[in-house]
Amino acid sequence: MMSPSSQQRSRRRGGDFRLGLAFVIPVIIIMGGLVLFPLLSTMVDSVYRINPMRPGTPFAGLGNYIDLFQDPNVRQSWLNTIYYVVLAVILETVGGLAAALLLNKIKHGRRWLLAAVVLPWCLPPVVNAVVWLWIYNPSYGLLNHILQSVGLTSAPVVFFNNRYAALFLVTIVHVWRMMPLTAIILLASLQSIPQDLYQAAKLDGAGPIKSFRMITLPLIASGLAIALSQSTVFAFNLFDEAWILNGASLDTRTVIIQTYMYAFQNMKFSMGMALSLLAMLASLLISLLYVLKVYRETRFD
Amino acid sequence: MSSRTMKLICSRIVIAGAVIVLLVWSLGPIYWSVVTSLTPPTDLISSNPHFWPQHLTLQHYGRLFGSTSMSQGNEVQSVWPQFSRALINSVITSVGATILTVVIAAFSAYAFVRLRFPGRDLLFILVVATLAIPAYTVMIPLYRIMIATRLVDTYLGVTLIYVSAFLPLALWLMRSVYQAMPLSLEEAAWLDGASKVYTLVRIVMPLAAPGLIAAAIITFLNAWGQFLVPLVFSPTLTTKPLTVLIPEFISRNYVDYGLINAAGIVAIIPPVLVVLFLNRFLVSGLMAGATK
Repeated sequence: MMSPSSQQRSRRRGGDFRLGLAFVIPVIIIMGGLVLFPLLSTMVDSVYRINPMRPGTPFAGLGNYIDLFQDPNVRQSWLNTIYYVVLAVILETVGGLAAALLLNKIKHGRRWLLAAVVLPWCLPPVVNAVVWLWIYNPSYGLLNHILQSVGLTSAPVVFFNNRYAALFLVTIVHVWRMMPLTAIILLASLQSIPQDLYQAAKLDGAGPIKSFRMITLPLIASGLAIALSQSTVFAFNLFDEAWILNGASLDTRTVIIQTYMYAFQNMKFSMGMALSLLAMLASLLISLLYVLKVYRETRFD
Repeated sequence: MSSRTMKLICSRIVIAGAVIVLLVWSLGPIYWSVVTSLTPPTDLISSNPHFWPQHLTLQHYGRLFGSTSMSQGNEVQSVWPQFSRALINSVITSVGATILTVVIAAFSAYAFVRLRFPGRDLLFILVVATLAIPAYTVMIPLYRIMIATRLVDTYLGVTLIYVSAFLPLALWLMRSVYQAMPLSLEEAAWLDGASKVYTLVRIVMPLAAPGLIAAAIITFLNAWGQFLVPLVFSPTLTTKPLTVLIPEFISRNYVDYGLINAAGIVAIIPPVLVVLFLNRFLVSGLMAGATK
């Protein structure tokens, strides 16, 4: 026989069970049906040949993956993506850290400066790309005017004729949008550092550079890892900016653009699925590396 | 002057300079777009641009909002029919996705924190792990599901895809909000005989309002800016949003930069309003989502 209180508790637990299930059922349906099931289906279908233009879906084994490695367009889009990731992560981290340090130092009007800094992140990436497309315009764009009036170039430059210039300019637009996120994450870490640590360091005779290296950097390491993996994943997923600024051009084509073209322009569904899986694995792997590295370095303090 | 005050003035100047650089970097392109959208077409192709427009005109906005105009002797049609349609589509899909996401996250995150049921932690980990899955990885099978269920180019289809993409982040955020709340409040309500649902809706949710607002803002901004998803799932003006319509103003031979910048400025009004009035919630939400 149960005591009244444990009976009550078990009834409450039963109620919890039903209520909890009722609350999470929409999550199970939506995430199961629209994310987990399609993900499994991507994995399975990437070893078949699925093409609406051709009959049947024969088993292809690793054939799709082998085709991917032999396609020079795929190789080029991987190289472009690696270029974007390296450059964007460096610029966003350096710029974001500088912005966060500045925001942390400012006492008056921080709210407004923060609003201005966050703004590019809030805008639709497509609009950003269109705005920058006009700035990069070869005949009437602002960038050419500035370069010429400063004396760096003598005649208007068609930036997108040069592959490296094109990659760089697409990266700038992406960095313009994503840097605020890095800045905010790092600002949150900076604000969690106790101020008396800096006073103690000052008493010990440490200069600003030394206290930055000995206090700030180690204490924002976990924030830095989050910021780095965010910027890596987003740079890997770059699509909008490159698509608007330079279309399907091979010079600036990313892995995602290649996936989109496989699936929705050439109707090679299974090739697109295989490539998108590889891209997902690559970005996950790199993020994991940051987290492990930071974990290992901060474990000892 | 003592070297100390010199040093102070120097550091002030360096900080002021850095603030100006940061402001120009962040706001300069937007300012330039506003100027462009207010400049007559003939001034746009002049050889030296003016940082302040010489002749203001509203003709680009006029073309967006309904009047025909003259350009080089030809009558130029207004794009209002397409533009208004896309504007409405953007509003419906992003507001719909925001409401659905926040309501689902508000209830289910509570279940993940306070209610015990089997498989709870596993389910939460599974859902949050999908944050690491980029949308395009599931897009091709999703396309086939949407074709099979006839949801391509419907508000329901696009909205559900948005919800599935933005729900994990909202859940993560709301869970950290609920976790930070003291259990004693709820226990007091339960002892008074209030049901769990009543306690959640009338006591917990009002206290969690800042978190709910942050989740709503982040979801709305993400949905409002989506491009790749509607590019695939909204092929016609039935559901095509602004983000897909605006790039269509770029044709192979000719780009009407005045028009396209004016359309861009209209499209950024909602995000700008959010930043002006709700930035506090947005920043705290981004910080909580990133650090916990």
